[in-house]
Order: sequence, then structure tokens, then C-alpha cells
Amino acid sequence: MENAMVRVEGLQKSFWDESRGEVHAVDGIDFDCRPGEVFGLLGANGAGKTTTLRMLATILKPTGGRASLNGHDVLAEPEAVRRSLGFFSASTALYPRLTGRETLEFFARINQYPPDRVAERVESLIDRFGIAEYANARVEKLSSGMKQKISIARTIAHDPPILIFDEPTVGLDVMAAIEMQRVVGELRDEGKTVIFSTHIMSEAEKLCDRIGIIHRGRILALGTLDEHRQATGQHYLEDIFVHYVAATGAGGGAAAAIGAPGPGESGQ
Amino acid sequence: MRDTRMILIAIVAPLVLFPVMILVMRAVEQNEERRLEDTVYEYAVTGDEAEWGRRMVAAALELEANDPDTTRNPVRFQEVQTNEADSLLIAAEIHVVVEALSPEAFERIRAEEEAAADAEREAAGEEDEAEEEDESEPELSLPAVRLRHRGQSDFSRTASRLLGSRIAEVRSELRDSVYRAGGLPIEVSQIASVTTENTASAEREGGAMLGLALTPFLLLLMLSGGSIMAVDTISGEKERGTLETLLTTAAARSDIVTAKMMGVIAVGIAVAAINILNLLLYLVLGIVDLPEQFAIALSPLDLVLFLILFLPLTVLVASALLLLSGYAKSYKEYQIYFFPLFLVFLVPSLAGMLPGMDLRSAIAFFPIAGIGVAVREIMIGEYDWPFLMLAFASTGTAAWYAARLTEKTLSTERLISASDLDEADLTGGAALFPRHVLRWFGVMWVTLLITSLWFGESLGLRGQILVNLWGIFLGGSLLMVRVYKLDPKTVFALRPVHPAVWLAVLIGIPSGYIVGMGLAGLVNTYVFPVPQPVLESFGESLLGDDLPLWQIILFLTITPGILEELAFRGALLHGLRKTFRPVVVCLVVGAIFGLFHVSLFRLLPTGFLGVLFAGATLLTGSIFPAMLWHFGNNFIGIVPVQLGWITEETVIPMWTYGVGLVGLAVVFAILWRVRTPYPDLKKKKPEEFM
Amino acid sequence: MNWQDVWTLYRRELRSAFRERTIVVNSILMPVFLYPVMMWVMFTGLMFVSGLADRAHSRVVLLDAPRNHPVLMDTLENRENVELRDQITAESAVSLIRNGELDALVEFAPPGAEGDELADNFQVAISYDRAVERSRRASDRIEAIVDNYREEWVDSEAAELGIAGADREQFRIVQENVSSDEQMGALLLGTMIPLFLVLMVALGCFIPAIDSTAGERERSTWETLMTVSASRLSVVTAKYLYVATVGIIAGVLNVTAVFLSLGAIMAPLLAEAGDQFQFTLPFLALPVMIVAAISLALFFAAAMMILASFAQSFKDGQAMAMPVYWLALLPFVLGQQTDRTLTPVIAAIPVANAAMMIRDAINGVFLWPLIAETLVVLLVMVALCLMLARMVLQFEDLLMGSFDGSFWRFAKERLLNRNGKKTAGAKQGVV
Repeated sequence: MENAMVRVEGLQKSFWDESRGEVHAVDGIDFDCRPGEVFGLLGANGAGKTTTLRMLATILKPTGGRASLNGHDVLAEPEAVRRSLGFFSASTALYPRLTGRETLEFFARINQYPPDRVAERVESLIDRFGIAEYANARVEKLSSGMKQKISIARTIAHDPPILIFDEPTVGLDVMAAIEMQRVVGELRDEGKTVIFSTHIMSEAEKLCDRIGIIHRGRILALGTLDEHRQATGQHYLEDIFVHYVAATGAGGGAAAAIGAPGPGESGQ
Repeated sequence: MRDTRMILIAIVAPLVLFPVMILVMRAVEQNEERRLEDTVYEYAVTGDEAEWGRRMVAAALELEANDPDTTRNPVRFQEVQTNEADSLLIAAEIHVVVEALSPEAFERIRAEEEAAADAEREAAGEEDEAEEEDESEPELSLPAVRLRHRGQSDFSRTASRLLGSRIAEVRSELRDSVYRAGGLPIEVSQIASVTTENTASAEREGGAMLGLALTPFLLLLMLSGGSIMAVDTISGEKERGTLETLLTTAAARSDIVTAKMMGVIAVGIAVAAINILNLLLYLVLGIVDLPEQFAIALSPLDLVLFLILFLPLTVLVASALLLLSGYAKSYKEYQIYFFPLFLVFLVPSLAGMLPGMDLRSAIAFFPIAGIGVAVREIMIGEYDWPFLMLAFASTGTAAWYAARLTEKTLSTERLISASDLDEADLTGGAALFPRHVLRWFGVMWVTLLITSLWFGESLGLRGQILVNLWGIFLGGSLLMVRVYKLDPKTVFALRPVHPAVWLAVLIGIPSGYIVGMGLAGLVNTYVFPVPQPVLESFGESLLGDDLPLWQIILFLTITPGILEELAFRGALLHGLRKTFRPVVVCLVVGAIFGLFHVSLFRLLPTGFLGVLFAGATLLTGSIFPAMLWHFGNNFIGIVPVQLGWITEETVIPMWTYGVGLVGLAVVFAILWRVRTPYPDLKKKKPEEFM
Repeated sequence: MNWQDVWTLYRRELRSAFRERTIVVNSILMPVFLYPVMMWVMFTGLMFVSGLADRAHSRVVLLDAPRNHPVLMDTLENRENVELRDQITAESAVSLIRNGELDALVEFAPPGAEGDELADNFQVAISYDRAVERSRRASDRIEAIVDNYREEWVDSEAAELGIAGADREQFRIVQENVSSDEQMGALLLGTMIPLFLVLMVALGCFIPAIDSTAGERERSTWETLMTVSASRLSVVTAKYLYVATVGIIAGVLNVTAVFLSLGAIMAPLLAEAGDQFQFTLPFLALPVMIVAAISLALFFAAAMMILASFAQSFKDGQAMAMPVYWLALLPFVLGQQTDRTLTPVIAAIPVANAAMMIRDAINGVFLWPLIAETLVVLLVMVALCLMLARMVLQFEDLLMGSFDGSFWRFAKERLLNRNGKKTAGAKQGVV
């Protein structure tokens, strides 16, 4: 893919566990993402989604392979990577004692948004998400819905071209989840590159332009929903998923390559 | 209990650390003592009677060397021959200078020093100290031995003290020989000799010593031990989310609370027991020393009594800890509140240490304090059964209330509801004021305390009025109005009143004053005796500076009458009007008003007046009656004394107190009749149910 | 490392901290308000207690009072706080004393063989209960009355015998303290302030240190911080500076509060007792104290943060960082050290050396080479801690909070165990 914002080649993450020995949390992953698309990582808990995304966000260091975001390698230029990235997950909370406004200002500044335009940016975010009413109240006093809005706002505070959402709707009620999905769609329409991980099939179906199915640290299949349907003969994503997972259980390892995502695919 | 870290920190660490610390401290202390003992103290002899001085010192040193006391070595002194004794002393090269002076030399030096001191005082602008002259006898002209030392140095002080006491012994011997030579048939020490005999048995004394500290010590252990469990049991569970799980089980809420309380009590007792055993171990190992002949006699009855007496105390502690833990939203918050709670328990328990505290008195009615005194009496073998039961009952009642309160509080939804949020938090402003008003006054109180303690003297009366009344009271009130965007007219209750109210106030002024004075007298006699000199100095500080009468009226009657009212019956009353019922509001406002008048012994009478003023404000809905009353009260308290109409000898006959009470009754009858109540007060609400 | 980033992060940390009740209370409010309030309470308490004690009457029984000493009897009868009870037998009196119903029994008797030759001489035996304060006080009072009477008696006897006053008195003995009021004040300040400064800097650092490491993990804001554009080093530096700042503020505020309170409250009390104290500080002492506070804060902050970073929750963090706090007790444990000043040995012991340096400065003693040694030692400790921190932070699982255990386990496993075993999160440079 030529205009790929995110390139991942043979990414690996292993660590040593006392009881299990060497564990390969991520065992050679390849994919690319381009602007204006939502790329979904779909998999069960423990499949390696979060580890992968954390590697992309430079929180963890890969033990093998390469990844680059916006032209910056995660190992060589971690700060540049983070500057181009907005990361949102269930375990990225807000600072309780800051107000909403102060939070947005902090994250804009610390992510190198031009200082003279920070105030303007903060106001526009407040407008966009409709949080003017409680922008000056401390975060600890807000309800979870309000906190979520501020969380999303702070993720894009520095207007990064790439966004990673790691299971963002976990624990949210129906309305809040819908709102989250709406925002993700908006961001895609603005031309952002969005990587979205989830284990909720309906979400992946609704939002993602391309879906990578990840299981035990490997991508089993990668393509649009239609491509998956053609390859497996199943209609619903659930069934598609089960199909792929069962295939690995039976033979050990061979994942059908769907479409040609680009260089670096190793066809394991 | 599986929390290994908790066990490590709470139990193992102290067990290991404290002996180490104590051993090190003892080693250091012994080292110090040896240093003091082993030093050779160097001294120089000067003065116009130096030779005589040397003879005195030699005699003193001989006494020291021949001291029959074998527990310590004789202290060694060495003379240093020099002409510059004083400089050597100041340079710390010698320890003490013995200046032997003839009577004339001594008089001269003393006169010089006094003149210098006077000059210094004049330069500093202070008044001359009143000379206390003993008029009866002219002073004798005597030679003198001056022991000059450096107070900063322990060694120097020790040298001076030792030498001084030995020389004093030499002097006694000289005196004795003079008397004998003059014809006195016996030694002076044999005249009207006094021996004292201790009737207390060793056990009684040991018991007395232990009894002083037993209750506070055990309380300390229970509080810190029980705390470990309590904090984990609610705040910790809330944080971990297991509380909700627990609350959805089939167990009754009260059972859960009881179980938790048992847990807290159990751990508290366990920790206390471990620490006591630990202490006994130290005693056995010789790490901690007890005085010789220390003995305790505790009968099984005593132990049973202790158990019974400590039971309500334990329940009280456990309830308080659980309550705190339930109220605190996190472990961190728990810790902030723990310290004041700790003090609230510990301070009353120290009642047993006060001299002359008898269980057979009002103290038995006070929870915790009563137990402290009771335990001490039992330890010396006194069993005042009726009052022991009273102490048990009072603490037991308190414990019962606390347990019930804990059960009620922990059973409400407040425990699991997460959100703190409401309208007030988002919009701020007037809605937040009632919640914060007490905090503001807390800060104001401490500021007042600090300024009066640190800068009180240098400010003088007018300065203090300026800072306290204008700065803190008026400043604080206006700041509150500004921060919370309040309407001054409403906050300060600036409303007109019915004419009859003025009449009521005019009656109230002398009535309230008299009754207040009566209260002050009652308090001074029965509750809180204040030493006479303090009362006197207080009066002085109030009117100390020589100010003209009009200034006194301005600063001590008009200004407080206005500014203090604005703060207390204005801002404070307004802030609390919905938090408590009207009667309680009066009491609270009065109490806080009393607390602001820093000396403890003025608390009750001032508080009483505060209640009256608050009542007037609530009944009339206006601050003006209180202002007039306050002004009037201060006026009749100060002006007649200044004008000399009333002096210390004036005696107030008893019937005037009765008249005062009647007067107050009349005042409030009038106010009630023409009442225009303060708007927007708290009304009785139906009970919350669960 | 980008100092602009550090500044942004630092500001955020401070802003959050001063809205955090625990930190504000412990580091700011308590020092400022606690001392004056405590001293006021103590003062009021003492007033109360001495008022009680003064007023208590001593209930005394006199037996066999000598007839030829009307003045003595007069004094005993008319003394305000002595209440003479009716005569009873000695045994009953003693049992009443044991019961707490009587305070003292005073038995007069003819003098022993040695005192026989003076006319009208007598001896006095006072029985009292040493376990009861009131009884002790009664005994002291009676003894004082008799002592006084003895002095007057002896004076009159001597006058009768024609012994001149001067011969009776012989000479005066006067103790004179040549230290100035300021020096005496410095002595007291020098005892209290070093202890307070060290302890309060430690306390001031304690909560922020835990809050900014374990606390962040607990609140899940740690990961948020890991995803910002600033380098890890900037993040850690900002936190470190923040903790040290709060520690310094707490220390300085505390010392100021102690100093002012001593001057305002203790000084008048002590003046009553006859000692004159003037509380001032030599000019140079202030910079020395500030430098000491800064070095101590840097040290405590580093040590506490390293230990607390192993914790997942605030409570655990507190338990882990506690040992460093105990270090602050070191000067207290080492005691008075009378008349000592900084020595090369003391200057080599961290924390204790800072305390001694401050004490010397307050007393106006400035031993510059030893002060330099002290600072060097402290800064070396800080450097060691920072190096340790750097080593520790290289391990990814620690940074991410997935390492389960304390510093000691970590040290055992990682730092000491360097063989080829493939350890989890093998060393990968942080920055």
C-alpha cells in the first residue's frame, strides 16, 4: 500500500513467564492502514490485540519485526510516533483533579500542538463535543458519560493523523457506545487513520472498513467484510470468526490469505 | 488476614524496629553519660578574693572526692591558671569561671550590671521593671562566689552546677561551725528535722504509675491495630469493588456491619495483645528499664474489672473506625480523618493523668475520660463501686449510640453510590456556600489563633482589632460574598424590625450581661478553674494600653458590635440556616462564636451570649438587634470599669442573677410575640428510610 | 529531553497536587496550623492542670503539736491550702491516707539524742502516700512550712547568741549564665528545628511520591501518560521535581511555623520560669537550611519514588516507601550529641549530617569544609538513587506495572542475577 500511514511487518512480542516459559503474545503480524479508513482488529480476549496496539503506541517494545506510523519507526523515533498518534483505551483514565478544559489544554500542549493555537483548539473541541456546560468542573465530579466525552476529546486534542481505539466501548451503556461509534465514523470521514480493536462482532461489522481477525498472536485473515464472506461462505461476522479460528485449531497454523494486503505478508 | 504486607508492616516491622531503635538510643544515651562523667572540667579562679575562692573550691572538690556514693565516679576538675578567664570561657576553652568577690567588689559589679540592663531596656523602649524591695531588712554586705558558665553548653552548665552545689555544702559546714562556735548546742540540721515516710506499698506505687498510662496506651494500640482492619474493611472493599458483592448477598445489613465490627475489634485486641507481650519481652530482655522495687499487684477481680471497663471502649473505638472508614471514599481520605479521630479518643483518656482527679466527681459522666480515671483508681486499689458503674454506663451508652449510628450509616445507600455530583458542584455559587461555610470559619479561626499568638504582642490592642475584626471577620465575610456570588442584603440580614424589638434588646443588654457573668463564675468555680494571675493578666491585656475613653468605646464596643455580628450572625448564620434546625443553629453559631474568643475559660459565657444573639436574629430576621445587643453588652462590660464605677471589690448580689434570668425571659417573650422569622430556615423532614 | 515538556508536566503535577486534599493537609496546612494550635492547647492544658493543683486543699492531721511554737502553729492553721482535720490516732490516720481520704499525717515528737540540747527542739515525721499526687503535694507543703520556720528560728537563735548576720550567711553563691539570650534561644532552636526539618521534608515528600507513582497506576492515568509525546525521561523528571518541590515547601513551612510558635508561645512561658530566651537566627543559617532542605528533599523523593513505583495501589505504595520515612528518624535516634558539632564522621552519615549541619548553622557555627562534605555525601546519595532509578526503569514490565512484587524481589532477580537466563522484559533502554 503506497499511502499507508501505518505499516506493520512481522511484529512480534515475546516475554518470559515463570510458569509458562516463553510466551509469544504477538507472533508475527503484518498489516497496513491508510488515511480515511477504519481498520478493525477483531479477536477474543487474550488474542494479542491490546499488545499489538500498545506496541504501535510505543508503550511496549517489539521483540521482533517492525512498525512505523506516519513514517516514524516505533523503535527509532518513539516520540515522533506518539506525536502523530491519539491513543484511547479502557485503561487510559483522566486526571481526576483537573477540569475538563485543563485536561484538553494539557494534552494539546504536551503533544506538541502549536502553543499559540492551543486555546483556540480547546474551545473548538469543547464546542464539538458539547461539553461547555461542565468544562470547568473537576473531572472527578463528572458522570461516566461526561468523562467519556472528555476522554475522546483529549485523544484528539493535538489533532493527530492516526488514532487507535483499544476496545473503547467496553463497559459503556448503549447510548454511550453508539456515541463512540459515531465519533469514530466522523474521524474516519475527516481523513484520519483509525485502528479500532474490539471483540464485539456487531461493532466491527458496523464500523470497520477492513477487518483483521487476530487469534493467539497471529492474524488469521485480513480484508473487507465482503471479502471475508466470500472466502468463508459465511454471512455473519460471528460465523466467519468461528470458521477461521476452528481452521487453526485443526491444522495448526495455516491462515488463508485473503486479498493481498501488501508487502510484508508472510502467509503463515 | 492473608494480606501479608499488612502483617509485615503492622506487626513484624514494629516488633523488629522498636527494639533496635531503643537499643541504639540507649547506647547513645549511655555514651553521653559517660562523656559527661569522664570529662575533666576545667575552671579558672578570678576576682579580688581569688585566694579565698581557691580555698573554697579546694574544699568543695575534697567533698566531691570523698563522696560515699559509689554509683558514680567523682567528677574531676582542674584549674587553669590564666589572666583572661572570661575570654577563655566564651571561647569554650574552659568550662566555668569561679569569681570570688569581696562585698564591695560584688556590690559594684552588680550596680554596673543593673545600670547596663536599665540602659538596654530604655533603648528598647520598655518600661522599668518594678523593683521588688524587701523593705524589712537592709541587705547584708557579703562576699560572693560567682560561677560564670555558658548556658549553651551542657558541660559548662554541669560543671557550674556541680561546683555550685559542693560549694554550698562547704558553706553549710562553715555556717554550722560558726553557730557551734557561737554557742548553738546542736547542728543546724538537727533543728526541727523532718523525715517523711511513704505509706504506700510498692504495689500501690507501681499501680499508680502504670494506671496513669494504661488507658491511653491501650487505646493507642487499639486505634492503630483496629485501623488496619477497619480501613481495609470498607474503604478498601469499596475500592476493590467487593463491597457491592457483599451487599447483594442474603446476609442482613446489620449482620454484615456486626461482623465487620467484630473483625475490627478482634484485630484491635490482637494487635494490642501482641504489643503488650512485646513490651513485656523488652522488660525481660532488659531493653527497657523499670524503676527499682517496681511491683504490681493485680487480682483476678482487677483483671475482670478491666475487661468489663474496656469492653464499651473497644466497641466505641470499633464503631468510630468503621464509621470513618465508611465515610471516607478512599484509603487516602481515611488517613486524613484518622488523626483528628485519634486525638478525640486519646485526649480524654489522659484524664487519668491529671492531678487530683477523683472518680467520685463529674468526670465519671464523661465517656473515655471516666474509664481512664476509673482504671487508675483500680490500679491503686480503690474501688468506688457506684462511680465505677457510672463510668461503665456512660461509656457504654456512648458505645451503644455509636454502634447504632454506625449500623444506620453503613446501611444506607450512600455507601455504594459513587457520584458526588449535583447541581451545586457544576454551577458553584450560592448553592455551594452552605457546604463550605464551616470550612471558611475553620480557616478564619486558625488564622485568628496564629495572628494573635505570633503577632499579638507587637500589634497592640488597636493593631489586633484591626487585624482580627477588620481583616479576618469583615474581610472573610466579604470574601465569602464575593466568591459565592451572594447577595449582601440577604446574607447579612439587613432588614428593618418592629419597634418593640428595640425595647426587648434594651432589656436584654443588662440581663444577658448579668447572666453571662453568673455563668462565667459558675464555670470558673466548678468546671474550669483558672489561676488568679491569668485572670488578672487577661483583664490587663484587654484594656492594657492607656487609651482615651472614646477610643475604647470605638474599638471595643462599636467595632465588634458591628463587624463580629456581620461575620457570625450574618455569614455564618446564613450559611447554616438550612443545615440544622433553628434551635440547633443558635447553639452552633453560639458555640463557634465562643470558640473564636480564644481563651478557653471565656468559651461558655461568650458562647451563651452568642446563642442569645443568634436567637434574636432568627426571631426578627434581622441582624440589627444583635448588633445593638452586642454593642450594649460590651459597653456595660467595659465602660463602668474604665470610669471606676465598678472595681474589683464590687460584689454582685445573688438576686440580680435571678432578675437577669427573668429579664431574658421577658426579652424572648417579646421577640416571639412580634416575630418576623428569618426566611428560608430548615423545616422538619420525614425520616429517611432504607 | 525537552525542558518545555518537563515544565508542562511539572505544572500539571503541581496543579493536581494542590487540589488533592491529602497533600494539601499533610504538606501545607498541618505544618502551618498544627504547631500554634498544639502549643495553645498545651498551654491551656497546663493552665488548667496547675489551676486544679493549686486549689486542691491538703487535708492534714497534726499530732502532738509542740506548745512553744505558736508561730508555726499559726502558719499551719491559717495557710490557705492546708486544712487541719480533727485529731485521731496515728493508725486511723494512716489507714485514711491509704484510702485516699486524708493527705498527710504530721507527727511531732521530742528531738532525738543529737538534737536534745536545744530548748524546745522537736522533730517531725510526715506520713503520706507517694502513689497519690495530692498526698505528695501535701507532704511537700508541710515540709516547706517547717523548713521556712526552721530558717527563722535559726536566725533568731543566732541573733540571740550575738552571731552577726554576715557570719551566719557567710557568702553568696551566684550562678551566672554568660550566654546571651540569643545564644540560649539558638540552643533550643538547634535542638528542635533540625529534627523538624528532616522529618517534615520526609513527610512532605512521602504522599506525593506515592501518589505520582503507585497512585497514578491505581487511577489508570499511568498509561495515559505513557502515550503522550514527551519522552519517558521528561515524564519521570517532571514527577521527581514535583515531589521534591512539595517536600521542600513542607519543610520550609514547618520550620517557619515552629520558629514563630516558639518565639510567641514558649518564650513567654520560659520567661516566667526565669530563663530568658531570644529566638533569632543568624543570617547565614537561612541559606544553609534551605540548601539542606533541598538536598534532603531530592534524596527522599528519589528513594521513596523508586520503592513506591513497584506498587499497584496507593496503600501498597505507602507500605513500600515506609522504610525511607524511617530513615528520617535517624537524627532523633542519635540523640542530643551535646556540645558536638559537625565532624568528618558525622558528615559522612546521610540525613544525620544534614541535621547536624543545620544545628550548627543555627548556633552560628559554620564549618565550611565539613558543610561541603555533608552536601557532597547527600548529593552522592541522590546520584546513586537516580542511577538506580534509571536501571530500574529500563525494565519494561516494571514500567508497565506488570511486575508483581517489591523492590527487594526485583533487586534479587534482576540486578543481582545477570546470567544469560532470558528474563522477562529484558533490558531495553528506556530513553
